[in-house]
This record gives sequence, structure tokens and C-alpha cells, in this order.
Amino acid sequence: MNIIVCLKITPDPEDLEVGRDGSISTERAEWTIGGFDLPALEAGVRLVEAHGGKVIVLCAGPAEINNSKIKKDILSRGADELYTIVDESLRHAGTARTAAVLAAAVQKLGEVDLVLSGEGSADLYFQQTGVQVGERLGWMTINAVSQIEVGANGALAIQRTLEQEIELLEAALPAAIAVTSDIHEPRLASMREILKAGRKPTFEWSLAELGVADLPETIDILKVEAPPRVARKQVMIEGSPEEAAKALLSHLRKEGVL
Amino acid sequence: MSDASQTLVYSEDENLLCELIGAAGAFHRPVAALVTSPSAEQRAAEAGANLVYRVEHIPAGTLSEDVLPTLAKLVHDSLFDVVLIGSTVRGRLVAGRLAARLNTTALTDVKSFTLESGSITIRHMIFGGGAERVERSLSPAVILTIGAGMFDAPPAQPGRKAETTPLEFVPPEKQAVLRERKALPPASVNLAVAKRVVCPGRGIAKQEDLAMVNDLARALGAEVACTRPLSEGLGWLPRERYIGISGANIKSDLYLGLGVSGQVQHTVGISGSRIVVAVNRDANAPIFEQVDYGIAADLYAVVPALIQALREH
Ligand SMILES: Cc1cc2nc3c(=O)[nH]c(=O)nc-3n(C[C@H](O)[C@H](O)[C@H](O)COP(=O)(O)OP(=O)(O)OC[C@H]3O[C@@H](n4cnc5c(N)ncnc54)[C@H](O)[C@@H]3O)c2cc1C
Ligand SMILES: Nc1ncnc2c1ncn2[C@@H]1O[C@H](COP(=O)(O)O)[C@@H](O)[C@H]1O
Repeated sequence: MNIIVCLKITPDPEDLEVGRDGSISTERAEWTIGGFDLPALEAGVRLVEAHGGKVIVLCAGPAEINNSKIKKDILSRGADELYTIVDESLRHAGTARTAAVLAAAVQKLGEVDLVLSGEGSADLYFQQTGVQVGERLGWMTINAVSQIEVGANGALAIQRTLEQEIELLEAALPAAIAVTSDIHEPRLASMREILKAGRKPTFEWSLAELGVADLPETIDILKVEAPPRVARKQVMIEGSPEEAAKALLSHLRKEGVL
Repeated sequence: MSDASQTLVYSEDENLLCELIGAAGAFHRPVAALVTSPSAEQRAAEAGANLVYRVEHIPAGTLSEDVLPTLAKLVHDSLFDVVLIGSTVRGRLVAGRLAARLNTTALTDVKSFTLESGSITIRHMIFGGGAERVERSLSPAVILTIGAGMFDAPPAQPGRKAETTPLEFVPPEKQAVLRERKALPPASVNLAVAKRVVCPGRGIAKQEDLAMVNDLARALGAEVACTRPLSEGLGWLPRERYIGISGANIKSDLYLGLGVSGQVQHTVGISGSRIVVAVNRDANAPIFEQVDYGIAADLYAVVPALIQALREH
């Protein structure tokens, strides 16, 4: 079974800088693999370990994603090959553009049975791109999948976690599946895998090579700003634990919240 | 977008469907609802939908997402240019697939939107709540997803009828086969209505130590919540107990964070709490920028002291 895993490399949300005027900057942020995408990679690697085939990772984004440390990290977690699609227009792309680009790459790779994506990207978390890729391919498309097994008939046996219930589904391949963040705990790479990663193939494609250089943009981003913040008193309570506990309770009684 | 056109709303969740009808009222033009059951038809009519499309002859075993081809045909045939979809797990799948078919971007989890000179501008969160982004749609057809509780449903008008058009179910080309459906255990808590909330984070070293947190919560008359890693990573507490962008929002009088660092994806969920308190041994933890009262100390010393002080009082 050949599996493509879509991973988004983004500025680390924890490095977001908020200016006094409410402006937001990611300029000094380190770029990382989305934390909610790694479980999708783990799911792909486990399926291939059990059933054979290979895991190909696809990452689309601006030039920052061409980061050798991140690439090595991806390949040391069990991926066999890595394709990056680099274009400045992907930095602020609507999900329609990103999905069209990823779907074009899946088509170009061919001979793929399953496309996995994460629960949501670390920067946008729109939970959209993976399902749009599946629909653009015309494949069976399912989200919120918390377990994947291959049944005796070759179809996938899937567990899906909804708000109030769990569904057990059977889905024929080829399929596009967006997994939940708790489908698997992502593995830590072993020393052996890290050494192997340096010898694994990586490729870079341009939008022109995929035939998607002239996609129209569907959104116009007007503003990015910090959310309104609630003003808080910011009283720090000092003293021994016993003193601090008593002082806190007396504050809370005065506030009328006990 | 022409002013003569209509807005279409769809959600498999009937309460959310009514909220979408409420949200769509802001466009000041007719609102149509797509429904798949008689009860949803009635709820939509009573919530003030002008037109109801009722999907008929749905085969047994059909998943609610399988309505997609019927929805896509309706949007295409009737030239709907705004579609509002409830942001549930199923709704997000339907919205994404419809967006792909219309070659557009679904604008997700919108907090507010405006229609001005024929184009729709929306505001929603990015970076897990770390920022808000304002976007204008450049597509002829616009898909918005809206979460539960974001907009008010119009007051129900009991007995109100809407013009109803039956729609033939369009079978999907590819369908997953439903083997089994299991209800998740009923939610053990509704944090949205809790008066006081005690929230342990990763500063709790072992699952057994939650006993001490439970004792404190009991002494305070508080519910126990948590940060996402305690629920999703460690599985110490059920999902409905974690607070944040992908979890619950609280509106309590008191939030007490214990070993919570204060990452924005968590703290967006506590902005509605009246008083925020945190105990964290790192005096530079970001949570302290967002508290009313903070104690920079080891929670393993402070929690027992709090329990003791509450008992003495
Ligand atoms: C897209 C996205 C969505 C997310 N959604 C959510 C969400 O909805 N909810 C959520 O909670 N998170 C969410 N997260 C995760 C979030 O970014 C943080 O990783 C998480 O909230 C951190 O949890 P924490 O504060 O418990 O742990 P940590 O960040 O590890 O902090 C632990 C804190 O405990 C303190 N500590 C350690 N030992 C002690 C001690 N003995 N006494 C006192 N203090 C101690 C440390 O100083 C530290 O500050 C999301 C992330 C992303 C990318
Ligand atoms: N630029 C990208 N490159 C590769 N995969 C992506 C990209 N954007 C989104 N994805 C995948 O789609 C999922 C959903 O993304 P989003 O709709 O942004 O929340 C992510 O978890 C990734 O698996």
C-alpha cells in the first residue's frame, strides 16, 4: 500500500509575537512540522510497516519549508521519500489553492492508495485542506478518523470519533483520510533512523511542474491582529505556601467568587 | 453576488440549524434550509426559514454526509451564492467537499461576517486563537462554517409553516459502509455552566496526583477541567474536560490553573472567566500575564495549603 502523508510546515505558534499595537509577527518564529500532523505520519508509517509499500510525505509552502533539519526530522520518523512544493503564493493561500496543489501532486505521483492528513494545521487549524484534497481527487473522503485497519477484503476498517458517538465504517481504496490528533503518539526517531534519513530521497516541485501555476486566489487577507485581551489585575501573591494560600482565599472572598 | 439571490443553510444538528437561520438573517434576504427529516423541517420553519428543501427517499444506512451530492446539485441549480454550514465534524467534511466542488475556500468557524457592496468579509481565529484574521472572499459562491453557540437562533414561532420543496436524494458515487455506531459515554460535565473551575496542567507529574486536585475542587465546590495534553495525550481526563480552542469555553466566576503554562490555545477558553488565578513554579510563565491573582510556587506545596486553609475556615 502506497501512502501519501500531507504535513504542513509552519511558524511555531508558540513563537508568535504580539506587538503593543496588537500586531502579530511570526518573523522570529522557528518553523516546525505541525504537531497535529505528526500523528498522520505515524499512522501512515504503521500501516506500511504492517502491510508493505511506502510512505511519501508532501509538504507545500513558501521557501522556509526547505529546511534541512525539518526534512531530516520527517525522514527519520519513518517516511521513505519527501516531496516539497515551494512557492511564495502558498504562504497566504486559501485552502482551495493549497488543496488544488496537493491534489495535483498526488495525481502526478500516481500509484497511491491512501492520502492521510492531520487533524488541522498548526497555524490555521481550519480542518479543511485534507478533505478538500480527497474531494478534488474524487476519492472516498473521511475526517476525524481515530483508527485505521486493513480488512480481509482489502478495504479499510475505520473508526471515526464524532461529538457524541463513534462510527465504525468500511471504506474502499483509494481514500483520503484526515485523522485525529490522538490516533497515535508520534514516535521519537532512533539513532539508526536519523542516520538513515540523510540517505533518503527528497524532491522539490514547482507549481509549474504540477500544472497549477495560474490558480486564482479565492480569499483576500485584509488584516491579522491579536484577539481582544481581557484586562486582568495581575496581583502576584508572595510568601510561604501557607501564607499565600490564606492570602489568595481572602482575595477570592472579597471578589465574591467563593 | 446578486442581491436577488438567497442564502442556504445546512446542519445535521437541528439546534445549530436554527442558529444558522439566525445568522443568515443578517443578510436581509430570503433564507432557505436544506433538511433531511420532518423534525428538522419543522424546526427550520419555526425558526423563520422562508423556504425549506426536504430531501426525500434517503436510503437506509445513509450517513448524513452523503447528502453532499444533493446539496451540491441544489446550490448549482438554484444559484445559491452563500451557503452556511454548521461546524460539526460532519459539517466540516460536507463544507470541505462542497468547497472543492465549487473550487472555493470554505471560510471556517467565523466569529462575525459582513456583506458589503456584494462581497463577504469574515473574521476568524488562526494560530489556535493566537490571532484573528479578517478575510474577504473573492469567489462567486461563498461557504461559511459556523460553530454552535456563535449566533442566536431566532425565537421559535410554534406552528409556523414554510414553503417546502421536496428534493430527490442524489446517491453519492462513493459511500462508506456503516458497520456500527456506538454512543460515547455521556458527557460527565458541562464546563460551560460551571461556577468555579480548577484546571490542572502538565505541572501535574503523575495521574495519582489528580486526587489532590480533586480534593481541592471538592473543597472549593468547583468542577475539574484540564489542558489538552492531560486529556488527549495522557488520557487522564475525558475530552469534554479540556479547555481551549479545540475544547470547552468557560464563563465561570473563578478559574484556578495549576501547573498551566498559559499557551494561547488554552487561554482563549478562559477569557470569559471573571477571576483567573494561576499557580506555576515558573515566575515567567506566560499565564501570569493573564491572571488576576498569581502564585509563583510549587503547586505540590500550594494545593495542600489551600485545602488546609479552606478546611480551617
Ligand atoms: C492548533 C492547536 C490547538 C490546541 N488546542 C488546545 C486546547 O484547546 N486546549 C489546550 O489546553 N491546549 C491546546 N493546544 C496545546 C497548547 O498549545 C499547549 O501545548 C497546552 O495548552 C499546554 O498545556 P500545559 O499548560 O498543561 O503544559 P505545559 O505547557 O507543558 O506547561 C506546564 C507548566 O507547569 C509548570 N509546572 C511544572 N511543574 C510544576 C509544579 N510542580 N508546580 C507548579 N507549576 C509547575 C511549568 O512551569 C509549565 O509552565 C493546542 C495546540 C495547537 C497547536
Ligand atoms: N501546505 C500544506 N502542505 C502539506 N499539507 C498540508 C498543507 N496545508 C494543510 N495540510 C494538511 O491538511 C491538514 C488540514 O489543514 P488545515 O485545513 O490548514 O487545518 C493538515 O493537518 C495537513 O495534514
